[in-house]
Amino acid sequence: MNLLLSAPKGHELSEFLFALPFNLYGKAQKVDGHLCVTRSEILVYIDGELKDRYDFNDYEEYACEQLVGCSMMVGRIDDRNQRCICAFTNENFIAFAEVCKIINHYITTGLLVEQSDIDEPKCPKCGLPLDGYSECPYCASKIKTFSKLFGRLKPYKGVFSIAIFCTILSELLNVVSPYINRILIDDYVQPQNTSHWLGFAALCGAMLLVVVINTFLDWANMKASRYVSLNLGQDLRQDVFNKTLDLSMSSISKKTAGDLINRVSNDASKLQNFMTDYGKNAIVRIFSLVIVIIIIFAMNPKLALLAVLPIPLVLLIVKRAYNTVHMYFGRAWRFSNAHSKLLHDALNGIRVIKTCGTEEAEIEKYRVASEKWAKAASKAEIVWNLVWPFADFTLTIGNYFVLYFGSLMILQKIPSFGTLTLGELIQFTSYVGMLYNPLRWLMQLPRQLADVSISASKVFEILEESTDVRDDENCVDLDIQGDITFDHVFFGYKIYNPVLKDVTCKLEKGKMYGIVGHSGVGKSTMINLILRLYDVTQGSVSIDGVDIRKISQKSLRSQVGVVLQETYLFEGTVLENITYAKPDATFEEIVSAAKIAHAHEFITKLPDGYNTKVGNKGHTLSGGERQRIAIARAILHNPKIIILDEATASLDTETERQIQEGLNELCKGRTTIAIAHRLSTLSNADSLIVLDKGRLAETGTHDELMRKKGVYYGLVMAQRKTTKMKAVAQSPRPNALPANS
Amino acid sequence: MDKQTLEEERFEIDRLTILDCSKLKFYKDEGNFISLDYDGESYFNVRLTRLIPFFSKTTYISVAYDNAENEFCEIGVIKDMAELSEDQYKMIDEYLEYKYYMPEITKVYSIKDNSRGFIFVDMMTLSGRKTVCVRDWYSNFRMLTDKLLYCTDVDGNKYFCPDIEKLDKKSLQVLEIFV
Repeated sequence: MNLLLSAPKGHELSEFLFALPFNLYGKAQKVDGHLCVTRSEILVYIDGELKDRYDFNDYEEYACEQLVGCSMMVGRIDDRNQRCICAFTNENFIAFAEVCKIINHYITTGLLVEQSDIDEPKCPKCGLPLDGYSECPYCASKIKTFSKLFGRLKPYKGVFSIAIFCTILSELLNVVSPYINRILIDDYVQPQNTSHWLGFAALCGAMLLVVVINTFLDWANMKASRYVSLNLGQDLRQDVFNKTLDLSMSSISKKTAGDLINRVSNDASKLQNFMTDYGKNAIVRIFSLVIVIIIIFAMNPKLALLAVLPIPLVLLIVKRAYNTVHMYFGRAWRFSNAHSKLLHDALNGIRVIKTCGTEEAEIEKYRVASEKWAKAASKAEIVWNLVWPFADFTLTIGNYFVLYFGSLMILQKIPSFGTLTLGELIQFTSYVGMLYNPLRWLMQLPRQLADVSISASKVFEILEESTDVRDDENCVDLDIQGDITFDHVFFGYKIYNPVLKDVTCKLEKGKMYGIVGHSGVGKSTMINLILRLYDVTQGSVSIDGVDIRKISQKSLRSQVGVVLQETYLFEGTVLENITYAKPDATFEEIVSAAKIAHAHEFITKLPDGYNTKVGNKGHTLSGGERQRIAIARAILHNPKIIILDEATASLDTETERQIQEGLNELCKGRTTIAIAHRLSTLSNADSLIVLDKGRLAETGTHDELMRKKGVYYGLVMAQRKTTKMKAVAQSPRPNALPANS
Repeated sequence: MDKQTLEEERFEIDRLTILDCSKLKFYKDEGNFISLDYDGESYFNVRLTRLIPFFSKTTYISVAYDNAENEFCEIGVIKDMAELSEDQYKMIDEYLEYKYYMPEITKVYSIKDNSRGFIFVDMMTLSGRKTVCVRDWYSNFRMLTDKLLYCTDVDGNKYFCPDIEKLDKKSLQVLEIFV
């Protein structure tokens, strides 16, 4: 990333390591400011004049803070000693954040990085944000994208060729019909020739044959196209799904679930339709356009010029008209959408409306929305009816020229144009008419191409993305014992916001560790790093002395068991959910695991025992029951390391006690790492790791840390206070009536 | 502690505490952050928030801070900044103008749709003329009420127009298709 963007007045860029412009100062007034960094200090210029000067070591940390409408760079010693260095609108937020990161790196390590190695998250061509894409989907080479897309037709090239062949043949046959018409008119209708019935019948038969062959070709084309389309769609969806599951968590989390579902289903099916419908038709329509143009020029070049010449100008006008109409219809669509949302809201919330007595207000809101929609739709229709006849007339204006001059040629009034028979004129105008259909269709092609190329870029981006958490070439399958070491670990989900800072600790095998700290302090992040869902930014995490980047992901994750706060149960039976991580387990093993997890009892009470369907998200089971299934799943998995991430947080105290028994069985002799907000849950841990603002604050047993009166002591005291307040709030109201009154 | 006191204590948490402006003493610490002395207590680095930023800039301002456990603690709410002394008003207003920096749109020259879900809006704001790029414009360029237009550009900068009906005719014509 370029961090040398512009220099203050009277200075050269070469004087600084980094120089970034900022635009806000004093009462949010616009200024021409520059934040410049040299090898030892930060300089703040306003209108070319040096306003402030900071030594790197004046503050312990530099950070960018986002406010509501702008952001600021802050130097901080602690919460009470901090200073706003400059403020700016958000165009260069990432650049300022990168400068902060580089200075912070210098403060901790003494090394000043002079070149930022992070990628600019904006497209270098159009300047729009990349939004997690590696290449701008709008600027990616269309030819490259479409050639990749057509490359996927390879396995079906035989059938696809049949479809194209049938369509081309059908288009060619369409060219034959006007020719037969001409012979009919010139040789049989106009001279009123009644003596050659055989020839007349043969021509009628030929016309019928054309229709029959065309029908057959259409049928063959449809069958072949559908075969290719369905198979291509299936291939694309499957490949995108396979690749999605193979991607690292950092890649996945850049995209929302909705976005991924869109790519697997919508984008893939858009490509599927394009390839076998629009894509194929594009080839055929362009082909038929060329054939028709050749024929009319061969028949009469002067008339052909009259038909073709106005087309470019007319196309330009019509395209603009189409765009205008499109915008008005888009507006009507938005109002219709708003109307549907309001209707949906009102009908879903009808109880609230009735209980609040706001029927009249809702009726008025609905009336306004409905009226807006009606007005927008009517305006769109008016524009359409004004624009369309004009657009269509201008598009086909060439035909009127042809008719006028063609008639004059029949009457032999313009000898320089030559002569023409009535049949020839009808044949010619039929061909000219055949020009306009592909043209009308081709006018929409750029919009379609743009739309499909975006979908194609999105699909190919996933298919071609190389995962950033991948197995090392020399990775090993390790038989894990359970010793875990964090060695000077730095990590952040976003480059400008490190979550873990210089964490060093050792977790011994077979012991139970609790990770505690405030929300957002990095507890779950430590677990994500052990599971290698992400790779550390700096430092290393190792298991039994082996860096986890050198252990194969399959081997690592098959030996780590996880029980999360919210257990996700897949659609299926209890049995399938327990055996999810070990599908080959025997029924005896499954029951044994369920018994250890204290799940067997409730499962036997279910109507279909282990075959009970747990439905979408397992909603038919209570939170405690779902947790027990998760524990049984983990026990069956037989892991060497157990991770409990708020495993009992959403349960009541009684259920927690029961689950705890299951968990104690699960954790026996295994390295266990537990995160819990309820600190009492961790009281039997062998050691507690206390995190504070991303750093390791202290470690020790509960008693040791309480005696130390540090961060952990503060957490315990705060929690006791809250518990007391809750107890007060839950006591019965003094004036409340007894329940049985 | 008798039951009546318990009742009072419990509902103290739920009550909206309107701050007595005559007792508020805001001051800037060395780092230019705002701290507060109120009712014999000192609060460092307080967080000021407009509770209804689109309807009023100077009424219902929440004053809060993060305690040692990083928990949100609200000291109370300033009902109307006009009740503050002149210098106090100036200090708070300056801070809020920073925090909610949001240029007001005064004219819209043109809006171009690139047919890819982005629009480019060429407009005049109180901070000067600017062309902003808005992504997913159905969500980021919209009316919050019948009159209030709210716009967030691709970088996260925000712009607003308190009443589009007060814009000139040409601006309204340009806006018509998009809002």
